[in-house]
Amino acid sequence: MPEPNQSSSDGFAATLLRSRVRVVVAVVVFCVTFLIGLGGHLLAWYLNTASGPTATFLFQVNMLICYGTLWLLLARRVRSRHAPPARVFWNTMFAGALFVGLGYLVARFGRPPNLDMLPPGIDVLGFDHDTGVPLAWATVVKMNLLSLLAAAFVFVLLLRFRDLVLVKRTRSSQRNWYLMLGLMVVAALFEFMKPATVGTFTLWQQLALIPPVVFMVVNALRLSWIVFLSFKEKMLSIGLCFVLLVLLFGMGIDDDISLLGYDVMPGVYAYLRHYSYPLATFVALGVFFGILYCTTALLSLLFHLPTTGDFQQKAGEVAAMHSLTHLVNQVLDPKKLFASVAATPVEAGSAQAAWLAVADADTGTLRPQIVATHGITLTRVNELVDVNALYQEALTTPDFLLLDQAPADHRISARPGDGLGSLLVMPLNVRNETLGALFVAKEVTHGFEQDDIAAISVFAAQAVLALDNARLLEERIERERLAREMSIAREVQQKLLPQSLPAPEGLSIAAASVSALEVGGDYYDFIELEDDRLGFIVADVSGKGTSAAFYMAEMQGIFHSVSRLAPSPVDFLAHANQALAGSLDKNVFISGIYGTIDLKREELTLARAGHCPAARISLAGEATLLSSKGMGLGLDRGSGVLFRRTICEECHTLRPGDVFVLYTDGVVESRSPAGEEYGYDRLLKALQNHRHEDADDLHQSLLADLHAFMGNKEYDDDMTLVVLKWHGVALPHTAQTEQASAENGQPALAEVEVLQPE
Amino acid sequence: MSNFSVGFLKDDGVQVLTLHGELDAHTASELEAALQKCLSDQDYNVVVDGEKLQYISSAGLGVFMAYIEEIREHGGDLKICGLQPKVYNVFDLLGFPMLFDIVETQAEAIAKFAANPTEG
Repeated sequence: MPEPNQSSSDGFAATLLRSRVRVVVAVVVFCVTFLIGLGGHLLAWYLNTASGPTATFLFQVNMLICYGTLWLLLARRVRSRHAPPARVFWNTMFAGALFVGLGYLVARFGRPPNLDMLPPGIDVLGFDHDTGVPLAWATVVKMNLLSLLAAAFVFVLLLRFRDLVLVKRTRSSQRNWYLMLGLMVVAALFEFMKPATVGTFTLWQQLALIPPVVFMVVNALRLSWIVFLSFKEKMLSIGLCFVLLVLLFGMGIDDDISLLGYDVMPGVYAYLRHYSYPLATFVALGVFFGILYCTTALLSLLFHLPTTGDFQQKAGEVAAMHSLTHLVNQVLDPKKLFASVAATPVEAGSAQAAWLAVADADTGTLRPQIVATHGITLTRVNELVDVNALYQEALTTPDFLLLDQAPADHRISARPGDGLGSLLVMPLNVRNETLGALFVAKEVTHGFEQDDIAAISVFAAQAVLALDNARLLEERIERERLAREMSIAREVQQKLLPQSLPAPEGLSIAAASVSALEVGGDYYDFIELEDDRLGFIVADVSGKGTSAAFYMAEMQGIFHSVSRLAPSPVDFLAHANQALAGSLDKNVFISGIYGTIDLKREELTLARAGHCPAARISLAGEATLLSSKGMGLGLDRGSGVLFRRTICEECHTLRPGDVFVLYTDGVVESRSPAGEEYGYDRLLKALQNHRHEDADDLHQSLLADLHAFMGNKEYDDDMTLVVLKWHGVALPHTAQTEQASAENGQPALAEVEVLQPE
Repeated sequence: MSNFSVGFLKDDGVQVLTLHGELDAHTASELEAALQKCLSDQDYNVVVDGEKLQYISSAGLGVFMAYIEEIREHGGDLKICGLQPKVYNVFDLLGFPMLFDIVETQAEAIAKFAANPTEG
């Protein structure tokens, strides 16, 4: 008989019997106490007298220790292994059959064959009716063996069933289980010293039985392991459970109560009571729990049998969904993703065939394309179903399109028997956009129940996420590719601007351009012409971005080819206008200033084609805007007569200290945080302030002034600034080339200053 | 975000577009749409009133270039009126006064259509 605290857990038993030595000690304790018990009974038989109260007490304590140790030893052996329920039943049944079978043999051994015909008053068990003293040594042996077998069976039963009761355990379920065991022990110990010859239960004893029985009922309802069993496992469990139940009924809970009309071990409880009254009560309670639990389990198993298929399908759906959820994160390969999406409903058991049609984004049409099939071939789908018509109708439905009798629908040419009884079309919608539709087919008509549709809806929702993810990924890759292309375009465009600036005698030049976007429409360049002349240009294509960049490249081509042939700025611009008129888009034009510097004659000639006027500052600080007449390139698309008639050129004699500044509208139209434009006046003022600096410093000072005005925010237009400073005399050689680094995240602007050599 | 708008007004058979705000690369499409509407409504006598126009960029000027040809092909014209000096300066720098009829007031522009009906 286990002590209350010993009954607590196998954890306790395992802790107590951790070392081999302790196990050996426990075995020895068990053997010794068992033999003492046997010896006690033999002594009683030999002396033919009942023992006194002290001896009985000591004897019962001995039995307690004996069976407590047995429980511990069995608990160590029968560890919680989370075995499948069928195996638990099998093990219990096997142990039961073994012990009860042996008990059967022992009980029949030496038993009179015509038991019922014996006259009353003769105790066939072999105990003295009044004192309970064994009458023969064989009785003692039988008693000891039967008690050991019965107790061992009940212990194994309880230890095995713990695994079932505590499936999905909670604190309370665990507590209920140990409370039941504890209360069983308490009830058993209630009549610690009761002699076996007193057959009736006292009131107290009966009251003490109520709490453990209550907890037995509570524990007998813990059957959650059943729902996880497959149909086959349930059938197996039912069989084993039934056999075990027969075995337990055969054992009964008392000798007088024969539950099945037969006794496998006749008189076992009488022997047990003579052996140890508490043990007898405990065994009876244990068997009762066994019967209770097996009965509830059997009934529950039977009731759950019909719903097994549905439960399996649900479990399949959950598993399939799980795999699909993983897919969302994993799939980079659209083909694999499509195949998985089509396979999921079939694999989850919701359908016999499925296929996925997606709207073809490449062709821009809404006609869907079947990208994956499962359980049916593509040609078969095309043979049997007008996918496009169904798809178009599904788009108009709020949730889904369900054909309960698919063969009757005009869009389906399947006959009964083609495996297309009912069809569900689930549109795959994301953010008000339909990516495609999932077609799910069942062999039978009216095949889709509410829960099937619900499950497929959830699949569809998952599939949408996965498909959308794949699409976004593709878009991101595309965006990155475009960004790379743009950065290449930027590099190419940077090469169209002068890589080094010319350094004619008497002139210093500084120039830089920066684009608001990756590429821009601003252009500046220089060219050395014959007769010691230097040509220069600043141009601005209307708009910005890629289209502006292409026209800027065209302007560059025109500059390098036409400037050598054109005798004057007006000629150059007129030629350029004619060349551009044919190629510019009608809403695009180019403004520009073209000029030449004659180094020998110390003259600067320029013409303005719709561009911001160049600024000139003399050494004395006299600032002027050179706004000669002239319209933008590409505005006169006709003969060019209007262009040529309106454009004028102006010629300036260069004096040492003269500064010419050319720029694009990005400079004067730059705004302060308050929204005020930089404007011409500020530009001229800044020029006056910094006019004594050389070209490079002046250039930097102007940009710094502009940047300070803008409040250091980013440029929102392309911006070009070119500074030409006439020194008139040869300066010492201080040529230098530097690459200005980006400021405040602005793209680096190539800034080159070359002072004239020698 | 957009700080540009176009108001439509029909006066004496002339379609008047009143521009408000800033016309740049981002807002040019709105003026494009407005002019496109004039073409599809077969209103070829168009006056663009720039009195409330604060700023115009080269992309905005490009819109006028894009539609003037078609409007004139249909015997109409696009006249611009009421430009503020700063905005007019941008038009002037590019030589637009040589291509477009730019006048002081809206009434003047409409009167010009009436005096010299170009619609054929």
